[in-house]
Amino acid sequence: MNNKAKIDCVNHESRTNETARSVAVESVSVEKRQGLFEERPLPLNEIAPRVLRHRSRRDFLLFGAGAMAALAGSGFLLPQDTLRRMGVRRTVNSPAKEWFLNRALRIDDDVAEALYSGNRRVPTYTKSQITALKNNYNGATPDPGYIPGWNLTIDGLDSGLSISLDVRNLMTRFSEHEQITRLVCVEGWSAIAWWAGLRFDDLLRAYPPMSQAKWARVESSVNLDDSGNPDPYFISIDLATARHPQTLLASHFNGQPLTVDHGAPLRLLVPVKLGLKNVKAITKITYSAEEPRDYWAERGYSRYDGV
Amino acid sequence: MSDSTLPASEPNSTSTLLEEPGVLVAKKHHLLVRWSHWLNLPILLGLIASGISIYWASPVYQHKPDPNTGSVDVAADIGIWICSHVPGLHHYSSPPHWVYNHMSLGPGMLALALRMHWLCAYLFMLNGMVYLAGLFMGGGWRSLLPRRTDLFDAFMMFRYYLGVPFAKLIRRKWLHPRFNTKYNALQRAAYFSIPVTGFLSVTTGWAIHKPMQLHWLAALFGGYNAARVWHFWIMWLYILFVVPHVILVFADGWDTLRSMIVGWSTRVKRSELTANEQ
Repeated sequence: MNNKAKIDCVNHESRTNETARSVAVESVSVEKRQGLFEERPLPLNEIAPRVLRHRSRRDFLLFGAGAMAALAGSGFLLPQDTLRRMGVRRTVNSPAKEWFLNRALRIDDDVAEALYSGNRRVPTYTKSQITALKNNYNGATPDPGYIPGWNLTIDGLDSGLSISLDVRNLMTRFSEHEQITRLVCVEGWSAIAWWAGLRFDDLLRAYPPMSQAKWARVESSVNLDDSGNPDPYFISIDLATARHPQTLLASHFNGQPLTVDHGAPLRLLVPVKLGLKNVKAITKITYSAEEPRDYWAERGYSRYDGV
Repeated sequence: MSDSTLPASEPNSTSTLLEEPGVLVAKKHHLLVRWSHWLNLPILLGLIASGISIYWASPVYQHKPDPNTGSVDVAADIGIWICSHVPGLHHYSSPPHWVYNHMSLGPGMLALALRMHWLCAYLFMLNGMVYLAGLFMGGGWRSLLPRRTDLFDAFMMFRYYLGVPFAKLIRRKWLHPRFNTKYNALQRAAYFSIPVTGFLSVTTGWAIHKPMQLHWLAALFGGYNAARVWHFWIMWLYILFVVPHVILVFADGWDTLRSMIVGWSTRVKRSELTANEQ
């Protein structure tokens, strides 16, 4: 028996002692007390049939209305392709639907942002736990011809200047950091890989962005689409995430300089974001106060992509 | 136990004042329990359909490319098998997509499926809280708690269900085991495991949604990849539950189905009558 029930019993005891001094009856009633977890009989009511009929009608109408609303809601939210397969031949592309689904996405992004902590490190692994990482370039893999003349341009700096750095410059100026972390793809697969490179945070300290900057646009101008035509890739990343100690501008993969498959000569490695934010072959970083465009957000994915 | 929708009336004492003889009803389900119960239907359908669309993007169960079909996905293999063995499906336009076309929102719509999944997932969590609120406000949670006698009672119920068809065939009496609780042991096990399943779906879901910020949660399920597998198989528990659930509700009759809409039942047991009068 729990504490509350015990107290009830004590009260009960004192009251019965005052009114009727029958110890035998009282002890029986104490035993009959129900424990907190004990099932109680269902409450019974006697109701006039007319009232019961009225209530049933009201409840059935309410639940019927709820069912209709749920049906209408599904019809409104389901994709056209799905509805067509279910035999519904109605083509409505309502902006309200997009707004509604984006709203749900925004709520989830806000939750992800609230969960993020600059002090929380992502788990690291040992070399024996490394797994294969496939080349998941969205389109065709670029021709390595861009590598010899490669430069990283940085814009939106506090100095008001635009600077350009080459690989040697980056590698000699900044200390190298290594980490074996998991890269999680929006598709669901993941891979554990060994990365090395400079911290994004170190670059931010060496070349401070303008004071009101909250965002960085990280892009690659060498990305190609499926048929091999130029398809520049660009993502948005909040500066809080860019400053995370495990956010790297990686130059090495599994102990070797990055291959074209994995974004030679420099890629963004941000394990607290989905793989799609880990831009390969970065060519430009632009700091801004406003949230920049994002390649996948424009194709219906989340903007924040925190994992 | 407070009763918000029905006026409190003492059995026996007020019945003489009513013009018509009153109907004795037992209050079975709290309003919030009833609404959240039915809301689970569209929400879970949305979660399963969008979830399988998400699964399509990176199937958990893959193998080396099949020499004949080129398929790497077990779900695609099942579609191919169905289309080649089920009459009338031999000319199906895309056999590898059969499963995704019939059990999900469809293949090749990951972005949309993710948005639908998040929407339904947040609704599912809200609905779960409404359900729990209803369970506690109506006191219904006590009827769901497992008890010591459950193993034996569940066996007796199982034996009863197995025997029903044979008893019907040979026209013999086959008595339902007696119990004076709201649910029998099998029902209790099922209705207790469903909120637990919901809790596991939500926790494995968060583990694979935020495997870095909530890495301890992913670790609890054996890591990110294992949590994905858990999340996938836990989905099947709903399907495993819902099939006998629907069959048995219909077998049990109109009163049981109606009680999940109106909240009360006219099946008043003698034991409850005597217990209430005390």
